[in-house]
Amino acid sequence: MKLSVGWINEFVDLPINDPGELCDVFNQLGLEVETWQAVEAGFSGVIVAEVTEVLLHPNADKLRVVTLDTGSGLHTVVCGAWNFEAGATVPLAMPGAVLPGGFEVGSRKIRGVESPGMICSERELGLGEGSEGILMLGEGYAPLGADFASTLPYPDVVFDLDITPNRPDAMSVYGVARDLAACFGLPLRGPNTGFEEEGQPTTASVRVEDSERCPRFTAREIRDLAIGPSPLWMRLRLRDCGVRAINNVVDVTNYVTLELGQPLHAFDLDRVPEETLVIRRAAPGEHLTTLDSIDRVLSDEDLLVAGPSDGLALAGIMGGENSEVAPDTTRVLLEVAHFSAPHTLLSGWRQKLRSEASARFERGVDPELPPIASGRAAALMGRLAGGAIAPGFIDIYPTPIEPVVVELPAAETERLLGVAIPPSEIAGILTRLGCEVEGDGPFRVTVPTYRPDVTRPADLVEEIARLYGYDNIPSSLPRGPGGGLSRTQRRARLASAAMVGAGYSEVMSFSFVAPGDIAALGLPPDDPRNRPIRIRNPLNEEQALLRTSLLPGLLTALRVNQARNHPSAALFETGLVFLPGPADLPDQPRRLAFAAVGPRPAPRWTGEGPDRDATDAVGVLESLAGALGIEMQIEQGSDGAFHPGRCGTVLVGGWAVGVVGEIHPAVASAFEVTGRVAAGEIDLDAVLAAESGAPFLPPSPLPPVVFDLAFDVDAGVPAGQLTAVVAAAGGPTVESVTLFDVFSGPPLAEGRKSLAVRLTVRDPERTLTDEEVAPLRSAVAAAVAERLDGRLRGG
Amino acid sequence: MGSADHLREIEADALGRLGAAGDLEALAILEAEVIGPGSPIMEARRGLKDVPQEDRKELGRAINEVKTSIDAAIAARRRHLAASAGEARLAAERLDITLPGRAPARGTHHLVRQVWDEVVDIFMALGYSVADGPEVETAHYNFDALNTPPTHPSRFESDTLYVDYGDDPEGVLLRTQTSPVQARYMEAHPPPVYIVSPGRTYRRDTTDATHTPVFHQMEGLAVDDHITFADLKGTLAYFANEFFGSGRQVRFQPHFFPFTEPSAEMHFSCFACDGSGCRTCGHSGWIELLGCGMVDPNVLATAGYDPAAVSGFAFGMGIDRLAMIRYGIPELRYFFDPDLRVLGQFR
Repeated sequence: MKLSVGWINEFVDLPINDPGELCDVFNQLGLEVETWQAVEAGFSGVIVAEVTEVLLHPNADKLRVVTLDTGSGLHTVVCGAWNFEAGATVPLAMPGAVLPGGFEVGSRKIRGVESPGMICSERELGLGEGSEGILMLGEGYAPLGADFASTLPYPDVVFDLDITPNRPDAMSVYGVARDLAACFGLPLRGPNTGFEEEGQPTTASVRVEDSERCPRFTAREIRDLAIGPSPLWMRLRLRDCGVRAINNVVDVTNYVTLELGQPLHAFDLDRVPEETLVIRRAAPGEHLTTLDSIDRVLSDEDLLVAGPSDGLALAGIMGGENSEVAPDTTRVLLEVAHFSAPHTLLSGWRQKLRSEASARFERGVDPELPPIASGRAAALMGRLAGGAIAPGFIDIYPTPIEPVVVELPAAETERLLGVAIPPSEIAGILTRLGCEVEGDGPFRVTVPTYRPDVTRPADLVEEIARLYGYDNIPSSLPRGPGGGLSRTQRRARLASAAMVGAGYSEVMSFSFVAPGDIAALGLPPDDPRNRPIRIRNPLNEEQALLRTSLLPGLLTALRVNQARNHPSAALFETGLVFLPGPADLPDQPRRLAFAAVGPRPAPRWTGEGPDRDATDAVGVLESLAGALGIEMQIEQGSDGAFHPGRCGTVLVGGWAVGVVGEIHPAVASAFEVTGRVAAGEIDLDAVLAAESGAPFLPPSPLPPVVFDLAFDVDAGVPAGQLTAVVAAAGGPTVESVTLFDVFSGPPLAEGRKSLAVRLTVRDPERTLTDEEVAPLRSAVAAAVAERLDGRLRGG
Repeated sequence: MGSADHLREIEADALGRLGAAGDLEALAILEAEVIGPGSPIMEARRGLKDVPQEDRKELGRAINEVKTSIDAAIAARRRHLAASAGEARLAAERLDITLPGRAPARGTHHLVRQVWDEVVDIFMALGYSVADGPEVETAHYNFDALNTPPTHPSRFESDTLYVDYGDDPEGVLLRTQTSPVQARYMEAHPPPVYIVSPGRTYRRDTTDATHTPVFHQMEGLAVDDHITFADLKGTLAYFANEFFGSGRQVRFQPHFFPFTEPSAEMHFSCFACDGSGCRTCGHSGWIELLGCGMVDPNVLATAGYDPAAVSGFAFGMGIDRLAMIRYGIPELRYFFDPDLRVLGQFR
């Protein structure tokens, strides 16, 4: 909201005028300054003069020779504008005058006629963009010869304030002046509302059918108006506050809105059928064309100011075209009403329409304001548009809104602020803010109706703090009981560190995916990841679904890197995925996923490493399990998104917690990723919750027996299964079983492969001999033969 | 044969030849020649049995002395040659130590995660713990429990992403703030409460330099029987100095949030220019950091607390914003860019 310091000074004599200092004051009051700007007349050497004679230029059709009275003599210039005749009062730039842009006015011959100086338009003086013609100042604007710049309301400073929703009282020049007066402890002057009624009482009438949405409605007839431009000072004020000047009647309603924060609307009374206003709900589907020329379809929640049949204005938001003040308007019915805040807000929202009026009503306007604002506007219309104010002020206010009374306990201020403010100071602050205060703790506080936000002790404490000064409240540092990170939170950090240590960089993707991303995963129809939850009002279809897996984000990230010439990339992400569940909210498990493509990193001078494949993915999980101190098993598995022959199910404590391997080539190419993609996705919460469980074993001083066994097995036998069978058959003395060789081809038969394992066997009690280990060898060989159809090679 | 002179010749010859051995291989050959079977000294020893009994003892001792001397010479020569061979190998193994090392490849933690963890650590040092909650949240916890009126614009479909789940079209949404964790936590735990809750939040914003539909926030909440606005000021001043470096001044201005009363906006003196005005702070000397305030009595009451018995403060800050300010990241969207040239700088 823009407002000028000069305007504020009409209501309170500010003790400071320095814009920087004022900025601090505004900010400390919670009236946040967005920007401020000094405004001044951008010209000098221009005087007020009256045209005494206008002659045609002897040598040019489009020019005239104009003689003016400058108060100290006559002055003749050439002028190309035709919007004035003798008798007009105009601004005259004398030779030596400097106009905006540094343009210095001189004396020059125009088509053979000497023209010392020029008569100026609004635009030439930087006072407006509007008219092309000469600026008409109006008869008696100022003594002839007066310095024109000094008649303007400049220099001034315009502040643009960001008023928070809880401060409807500050949505006006007067309201801000009131807050500043309270801050400085200065008296506040009211607006000038003096006028005389004259003529016959008004014959207009008003009926309010919805006093919940419209608790108060006032109307006043003003006659004998002469529509024309507003005086320059008003146009400049409106311009500086960002409002376009229209005509003297509409400008007055806008001016009073800015000044007092009370929206007003003037109906052309001759265009109000039967001179009757009815405030009613719209019929469903009823149309109204508002002043912005939009034909609006209304709902029965919208409130209309209507004639006996048709709507004339969308109440509290915008007037209608059908009753607009026009150049030929001579009498208006001035509406100054109080519309309820929530209804105005919702109505504006439904119509996607926000105006100066609705911005105020939707926050809550003081219900006591309408008669004051009506008087102020009537006085101005009388003065500026020649209006006669008809007797018969209509004021429909069936249930007056009573001021709120709040009991403020004596200790409440100190309890919430941490500073002991003397009761007299508390009472003083609240009184300055317009409250009536009884008692000296507890206080019985009657809050003015312009502060609808203040209804509770905490609200009063905020007001006290605001004027006491947030800066004057001391600082203290309380400490909590401690707690630190939970086990899961600590282990989540370990997991991330393990991923980073394994060469993976963390990315953050949006939590949304496109329908195509889910389809591209190639999952079976019954896979829960294929049933993503929809966002009802997505920004676009690409962000319409909640992710059910982190893989689409990672695959997209790999594509981005390949496209940007990073052939080797290893990325991971942790975050929530969203799946339909039995509860009121979706299941939102925390996942960790990773994906890598391209050569394994190696220093350039030793050459590129080989491309990554599924074993890299398994290796990452081994690092992760190692960092977390847990056992993780991989079983041959399947997943629609993964290569059917290179996919493992990840098990922790016997439970499946995820998938690992290589992304299915079709899926990779759907995401436009080239090459093998090593990837995995695990349920992070389950993995973090796992216990390592293995007890500490003191290292035995006794030597182990170490021997190797190679088995000829079917090519489909997973190595993990072989080592598990060997370990189980070997019994408790088997310390470790390590797979160290895999090969196929001659001398093995087609469809067979060799898996070689090294066993370390140790008895904690005594040294084993080879003879003692022989039965163990046989048992292992027998178990592999029986369970895996494997033959001990060379055995 | 076997005379003392002969023995001295043998010794002198052996020592002479050993001294000329150029490397360990030559030494090994020589060793066999001077001390192995058939060598003069061993031949001398073999001939000892033919020496008369009375001379045998003395000659035997002399032979042993020579043998010992040759052994010692071999050992000495070997040590000498081994030492020079080692030096030569070391010299040959010289490596350009400025070549890039063979460190295992390392990734990077996302910058937002680093700031997230750091902020958590700062508050843990003050005795806080970390709470989290769901990202798909009910309108109850995201709005109602936080004293947000039913007509508040933040509920509008233009601002909030609603999720198609359950019967009420406005019942389930992507949380617009981490504050619902406050409400959930207070419902589940009696006071005192000292928590921070970092997490992902969502708004219906189109991506541009300063907006993304997904962002990260950290909520802080302290509720106890003695918490005041002064505590809020002190806590956030402590934070600003820990995170942005000591010497930060803080400033609080009245503001408005539905869930706090009184409410404030906190600014701190620019860490880049120390408050004199620069690009980082838009030449104002101050940087707006976060919104905060005393927990609204309605929020306390909704959570089942007695607003007359306990009080609290809450604050909410953008983790992404903290990272942007401190590291001079010009645009929010870089945090969602997986380009390794971006990620690689997050060290």
